[in-house]
Amino acid sequence: MDSKNRKFNIGRISGACILAVFIIVLDILFVAFPKKTFSENENRYLQAFPVPSAESIVSGKWMDDINSYLCDHFPFRDSFMTIRTGVEKAEGRSEINGIYICSDGYFIEPYDEPKNTEKTIRIFKSFYESLPENINTELMLVPTAIWTLKDKLPAAAPYRDQQSDAMDIINGTGIPAVDCFAALSEAYENADAASSGAQTELYYKTDHHWTTYGAYIGYKAYCEKSGIDAVPLEKWNSTAVSTDFHGTIYSKLNDYTVPGDTIEAYSLGSDDISVVYEDTHEESDSLYNPEYLGQKDKYSYFLDNLHSLITVTNENAGTDRSLVLIKDSYANCMVPFLSHHFKHIYVFDTRSYKLGPSAFIAEHPEVTDVLILYNMNMIDTDLGIGGIY
Amino acid sequence: MVFSGIPFLFFFLPLCLAAYFAAPFRFKNGVLLLFSLIFYAWGEPVYILLMLFVSFSDYIIGRLMDAFGSETSKRRAFLILSILIDLSVLCFFKYADFAADSLNSLLKLLLPASGISVRGPGVALPIGISFFTFQSMSYIFDLYKKDVEAEKNYLDYITYISMFPQLIAGPIVRYITVHNELHERNISSEDISEGAERLALGLFKKVLIANRAGLLFDTVQAYAAAGTLAPGVPLSAASAWLGAISFTLQLYFDFSAYSDMAIGIGRILGFHFNENFNYPLSAVSITDFWRRWHISLSSWFRDYVYIPLGGNRKGAVKQLRNMFIVWFLTGLWHGASWNFVFWGLWHFSFLVIEKYFLGRFIEKLPGILQHAYALFVIVTGFVIFAITDMGELSYFFAAMFMNGALIGSDFMWLFRNFGVVFMLAFVLAFPVYPLLKAAFSAGNGSRAFRAFETIIFIVLFIFTVSYLVADTYNPFLYFRF
Repeated sequence: MDSKNRKFNIGRISGACILAVFIIVLDILFVAFPKKTFSENENRYLQAFPVPSAESIVSGKWMDDINSYLCDHFPFRDSFMTIRTGVEKAEGRSEINGIYICSDGYFIEPYDEPKNTEKTIRIFKSFYESLPENINTELMLVPTAIWTLKDKLPAAAPYRDQQSDAMDIINGTGIPAVDCFAALSEAYENADAASSGAQTELYYKTDHHWTTYGAYIGYKAYCEKSGIDAVPLEKWNSTAVSTDFHGTIYSKLNDYTVPGDTIEAYSLGSDDISVVYEDTHEESDSLYNPEYLGQKDKYSYFLDNLHSLITVTNENAGTDRSLVLIKDSYANCMVPFLSHHFKHIYVFDTRSYKLGPSAFIAEHPEVTDVLILYNMNMIDTDLGIGGIY
Repeated sequence: MVFSGIPFLFFFLPLCLAAYFAAPFRFKNGVLLLFSLIFYAWGEPVYILLMLFVSFSDYIIGRLMDAFGSETSKRRAFLILSILIDLSVLCFFKYADFAADSLNSLLKLLLPASGISVRGPGVALPIGISFFTFQSMSYIFDLYKKDVEAEKNYLDYITYISMFPQLIAGPIVRYITVHNELHERNISSEDISEGAERLALGLFKKVLIANRAGLLFDTVQAYAAAGTLAPGVPLSAASAWLGAISFTLQLYFDFSAYSDMAIGIGRILGFHFNENFNYPLSAVSITDFWRRWHISLSSWFRDYVYIPLGGNRKGAVKQLRNMFIVWFLTGLWHGASWNFVFWGLWHFSFLVIEKYFLGRFIEKLPGILQHAYALFVIVTGFVIFAITDMGELSYFFAAMFMNGALIGSDFMWLFRNFGVVFMLAFVLAFPVYPLLKAAFSAGNGSRAFRAFETIIFIVLFIFTVSYLVADTYNPFLYFRF
């Protein structure tokens, strides 16, 4: 009777109870695995074990932090993400985790209706009006991949035109504008004709940035607008510094089957560059930090990721023009082009610079040019833009 | 704390079960109580006092009612006192702000010049308050009717009220259902095995179906709120219906999954709760729907409101009145907003129509038409349930009933991205799984089916964990500071 009973029970138990084994094994691994403090893939710090206090328990914050802690350090977190992407791919979805799966291997972020256009216009307008008359000021709004590469989007994907939103900002602020939209779409249409053998892709397939070639197109458009003779593409030496770049969009999917992007760096060889990172007081003779090429966040190779103020000096620029560049990370790979034409470039990243650049300009009479450069996503989401004026 | 999360599944539940099974029987209720309080405090550290207050007052009133065993008038007085306390708590924390807002709107309408207005208390809704007050009231009602004996041990009573499986989202477990098991229960290996299976099924339903059907509805609702999918593309009727049905599916899978998990965990702990859902979307009429949807709530209102009011025994007019009261309250119970009341009354109207006019006619229709009729009423009803903003609601209805195109690129996009989930949810809303199980587990196929089922469980569990992990997976672009 006893043994018969047991047999029956084992048969009954095998179904769902095997999941208990799973849970226990993963729990043991959770305890055993060392806890990382930083997730390279997500580019953020993970939740540390929260220290309880009476206040944090009553408010419930401690419990929320414990929840984050348990999830952040869960074993095989990245691999579970890969499985989820696999399930959604198998379903035939063309949008996964907020990313459009586009043709030719592109992963493209959607573009939502901007929410802060009025605020952006007000701030840029006041900033522009505070500048001395003799400064040549340009506004350059760069479309993101979804606009330029719109023919690669999946069928029927929700799409909002960035160009008309950009025109609202340009008309609202009255700042003379570089038409990056026209330049990039022209370059995109002529991509096959360009035959230098170098990169012709304007955007990375796995990252939200434009490529160095895309930045070259932007540079050329800027030069045409502000009376500078752009150095022709074929004069630049391009080097592929990495062929294994998996960018921020890749991280949202974590699909191991996706090939990496190539990062290129362009140089002329005649420039004599020195760079001062004013926030950390570090100095360098290069606009690049190759250390990042060995990490996940390879785009930070350009201008060493994020600094509130960088001074770039080129003793061989051949002009005395000085540029104040107010920008987001799209500009990081464009600075090497610009540095050829300016003795000084003061690079402001408003996401971390707390003092308004207008005070800086008033104190630096050598400034002859101002360029405001943002991509169409960042211009609406960067909360630091308020710090410009 | 929610069931469908890493903290509960991988940490709270294993720890709780380990402690529960390690403890000798006389400490099991204590262990359960302790973990239940932690479970509640995880989201609502302060409101735990409110739950303790409600259970303590009803426990004392129960003891007092018991002490005056034969004096009906005193028992009645205690009954009224208990109802007053429980309903005051419920009304203050759940409905006071809503009542104040409604009164202000009315004053504005009637006396626009007076400028008189009232202020609500502005309190946050305590989690599960609608469930634990109704549970506690069921005890007092049954005690008053002498259907059940008074609970002598406060710790056992608070264990019943706070029991974490059903604490925050039901089912409404009556004291009378579990009072024997509260004091004496055997946990068989079958209970553990079937409880675990039920828990896993509920988890799959919640994470893999309900959450994703919800995403479809959210997407459609966002289009509806914006009036468009993208500039120049109005919401098509097909998309509006897809959204409406997906909300119905989300609600059913979400709610019934929670009940599945509650019933499953209850069984592992040795409690047998009543079923709460019986494939409500396969109903053939609205009368049928209410025998299958949230059964613990509809039977609560039937036994403690409808029947005490006289039910159907006092003539058609009073029956109509009683039905109106029950469905007004059923609607209101779901939330402090008029749209829930409208939803209740929507169902009331169809119940009346079925009872007095068209019931016979509907019964004679071909089965598929009966299903179509019931689904039409249910789905349209849940649109009223889903959208609290009246302007958005009327836009949504207009979109469903053709103010734009019948079908458009918005539908293509939604179907491409959610078609698989939608169809899976729709099919599984009908009793397909039990049919398959019965067909394959009989006779020789039994062993093979069990092995197959085990593999499916493992695969679905891995998928579920992937979704749970990914929900907290937020790649940040730059902010390291």
